[in-house]
Amino acid sequence: MLAAMTAAATIATTAKRTVTVTKTVSGRQAVADRWGYVEVTLVVKKTTTTVGTHKKVTRKITGVNVPVYPNHTDRSIFINEQAIPWLKQEVLAAQFNPNIELVGGATATSYAFQQSLQAALLAARKV
Amino acid sequence: MHRVEHVMGMPIVVEVRDGEVPGAVFDWFRHVDETFSTYRDDSEVSRIRRGELALADASDDVRTVYARCAELCEETSGFFDVDAVGGDPSGYVKGWAVERAAEMLPGESAINAGGDIRTKGTWRVGVQHPFERQAVAKVVEATDLAVATSGAYERGEHVLDPHSGSAPTGILSVTVTGPDLGTADAYATAAFAMGGHRAGNWTARLPGYEAMTILADGRVLLTPGFPQAPPEPPAA
Repeated sequence: MLAAMTAAATIATTAKRTVTVTKTVSGRQAVADRWGYVEVTLVVKKTTTTVGTHKKVTRKITGVNVPVYPNHTDRSIFINEQAIPWLKQEVLAAQFNPNIELVGGATATSYAFQQSLQAALLAARKV
Repeated sequence: MHRVEHVMGMPIVVEVRDGEVPGAVFDWFRHVDETFSTYRDDSEVSRIRRGELALADASDDVRTVYARCAELCEETSGFFDVDAVGGDPSGYVKGWAVERAAEMLPGESAINAGGDIRTKGTWRVGVQHPFERQAVAKVVEATDLAVATSGAYERGEHVLDPHSGSAPTGILSVTVTGPDLGTADAYATAAFAMGGHRAGNWTARLPGYEAMTILADGRVLLTPGFPQAPPEPPAA
């Protein structure tokens, strides 16, 4: 997959000549935090079209690989092998009278707890 | 019934849908506090931190907790790092202790320990809105699930990025759900410490765990499997 270089040439007409080269470019290994080395490799497709004396060059990234990444534990290997992540995006909204039984996130101190929705929910249940 | 006690430095709510809350649950939390509290000079953790007790000579529970903390440090690329806070494992101990306590509870039950929750059976859990004290930002349908939240609004800005030593920016809270509360809590803390530009994408790679990240600009990022409660039918 990471062959150093493959090349293919096609000749469209006698006047127009197109050469496509696929090349793999390796970045330097870099330290990722303090957990080890990471290296990123790009596969770049370079197309050179020549018409007469006019030459046009386009380069396109067709692949990204990470051949070297930290593998300290089975679990870190598993996490690193996950596919490119995607996320749903929403806008923050406030729900003031939700049908809930417990409240997470903001009752870490006694004062915060007394003031919290969680305490209000428990008080309401005693009625 | 439910019971609330202030133990381990926070209010702990224990609820049992049909039945009594066993007293042994709070005895367990008090035992955990005696063993792990950094505010007690005679706790095992305090003795370890002062260098008076070798980890190898500590109790099974203490060794188990430190071993899992070391794994979590690796899983989070050092963003959950007990060593960065002087060997204080409190960030994991709470969730670990709640998991053990949940095993003692009968039937459908739940524990809310300072805003971090473990359910048995299905419970509707609101996630606190970061600005509106009497509102929630999201309702989670939590079935046999841990729900842990780390945010700047809880205890002041107490989570720091261990790599830079400064408070994370661009982020208001991270809520992580999954099978184990100690792990969910560590992941939430780590993701929050990463700051707004990294947290969301990092949480999307956690096998078995889902997350909701609330950014400072008001965007909410959810992993595909985040267990949002279905919308309620409109009131009659």
